[in-house]
Amino acid sequence: MTTSKLFIDYFMQYVKTRLQYRSDFFVQMVTDIMFQTVNLVFILVVFNHTTHLSSWSREEVIFIYGYFLVPFSIFAAFFNLWEFNERYIIKGELDRVLTRPVHSLFQVMMETMTPESLSGALTGMAVMGWASWEMDLQFHWYDPLLFLLFALGGAAIYGGLYIMLTSISLFSDSKTDIQPIMYNVGNYGRYPIDIYNKVIQIVLTWLMPFAFVGFYPASFLLHDDRWLTFAMLTPVMGFLWFALGIMVWNLGIKNYRGAGS
Amino acid sequence: MLSIEARGLTKDFKIVQSREGMKGAFRDLFDRKYRTIRAVDEIDLGIQSGEIVGYIGENGAGKSTTIKMLTGILQPTAGELKVNGFDPHREREQFVRTIGVVFGQRSQLWWDLAVRESFRLLKKLYGIPDEKYHAHLDRLTEVLEMGPLLEQPVRKLSLGQRMRCELAAALLHQPSLLFLDEPTIGLDVLVKENIRRFLKQINQEYGTTILLTTHDLSDIEALCHRVVMLDKGTIIYDGGLTELSRQWGGGPRLYLELEEEWDLTTLQGFTKDITAEWQHVGDRCYRVLLTGDNPSVSEVLSRVVPHASVKEIRIEEATTEDIVRRIYQEGVPNA
Repeated sequence: MTTSKLFIDYFMQYVKTRLQYRSDFFVQMVTDIMFQTVNLVFILVVFNHTTHLSSWSREEVIFIYGYFLVPFSIFAAFFNLWEFNERYIIKGELDRVLTRPVHSLFQVMMETMTPESLSGALTGMAVMGWASWEMDLQFHWYDPLLFLLFALGGAAIYGGLYIMLTSISLFSDSKTDIQPIMYNVGNYGRYPIDIYNKVIQIVLTWLMPFAFVGFYPASFLLHDDRWLTFAMLTPVMGFLWFALGIMVWNLGIKNYRGAGS
Repeated sequence: MLSIEARGLTKDFKIVQSREGMKGAFRDLFDRKYRTIRAVDEIDLGIQSGEIVGYIGENGAGKSTTIKMLTGILQPTAGELKVNGFDPHREREQFVRTIGVVFGQRSQLWWDLAVRESFRLLKKLYGIPDEKYHAHLDRLTEVLEMGPLLEQPVRKLSLGQRMRCELAAALLHQPSLLFLDEPTIGLDVLVKENIRRFLKQINQEYGTTILLTTHDLSDIEALCHRVVMLDKGTIIYDGGLTELSRQWGGGPRLYLELEEEWDLTTLQGFTKDITAEWQHVGDRCYRVLLTGDNPSVSEVLSRVVPHASVKEIRIEEATTEDIVRRIYQEGVPNA
């Protein structure tokens, strides 16, 4: 309760800060719209050249890709932890965060969020809409609800994983390059999993569970029941990975050594 | 009531010891050698609520590490610690509601927000009720003269203006204990004085306990009745400021310029029944250190004047700075 209230407060402050730089705000908005439009056109053009991917039709591949953008942009909006090491560890802002009576990770997330990244979700839904219109896909009444649940679960999986990677900075302040690598691996979740060999399938399901962010739930929404169990596991996996992320973070805070004097 | 209670408080840091050269760097990759550095070494500290205590020490003496343990930022390696009745690190979220923190070198406010907005967000973070918040903010605004600053973004404030806002931010939730780490660093004399006056005022008005670290000993002189001195992670002095100067500073110093050159032993002979130590500092210039219980300048003079004619007299009181410098240079004499 207090957390959601605080979220709104932080969000309002964020908007106020953005509005302060008026020209910057408009420029940003125009850039965002342009970026998403280019992204949309790019997806359609690229996929128009491939007819199908193994047993998957072009529209289905596009649909999965569009779905992936939704959890991914939720993740990108609220887990913008790329500069954590630089800003919070080296510059020492974590010291300030730790003297405030709210969970440290929540504060860091709120201070670094970029809600405008959510516009990517709109692009994703537009792509999904176009693909399902082309395929003449019919949805059940519960599909939108599950879609929301899946998207949040996927974002939580991504979030948990990145929280863990970010927590490395709490144990050692040397820079690691795992984050960009993981970021690239994340892209594999947006393609049908049966195009990969067995080992990669296992890795993408259990070790770096990106298939839950893209493919599994999307296949369910495409009414393909072969991965039904996995699709339904998405929220559970989201919860587990997010909880794991928080555990590692808390352990890291215990280990935190503080910024130099 | 004790506000801070520490027993055997210790903090170790593990540091990777890197080897020399390219070959060493490769060896480091596989076989790391760690060295443990003890930043704070089993200190005992008890601070009563309502006290203003100065915490001093050279760079690297362990001041900041102690403060970070007391504020819950760092977990102690060993020892017992209770601050305001809490274990600062384990019960952090509840504990920090009862303290205020100002780090002079680092802003506690949000850089891009107007001061008022920063305060408002803090109000939400601490869950301060509206009425209490407005009343208290009005009071702080008046005392710290922040009226014209409230609508400006923090990044546009001068250092002195920012520091006043930082203080207000740390006090919004009316903590009973205030930590100040170098609160007057880089400020001009006037602002320093204002801030000291303000700190004294809140100490008297609300009974706020204050622990401050500083390099500027005039802060300590102006504010603290008690100083805790830290060196290499251990407390080397804990007591009153006046006792400190009596114990180590000695009495005043007397500078004399005489009409002619005198032999030191002869001069020493004039004052052999009082504890005065003569030193030759220049042409016909002498310094007399007055130590012991009741050194008196007039007594020295009354013994010298019958023999030698005095051209000029200057008396210097030992400052806290001198005393502290001497302690660091000469180490702790029979402490």
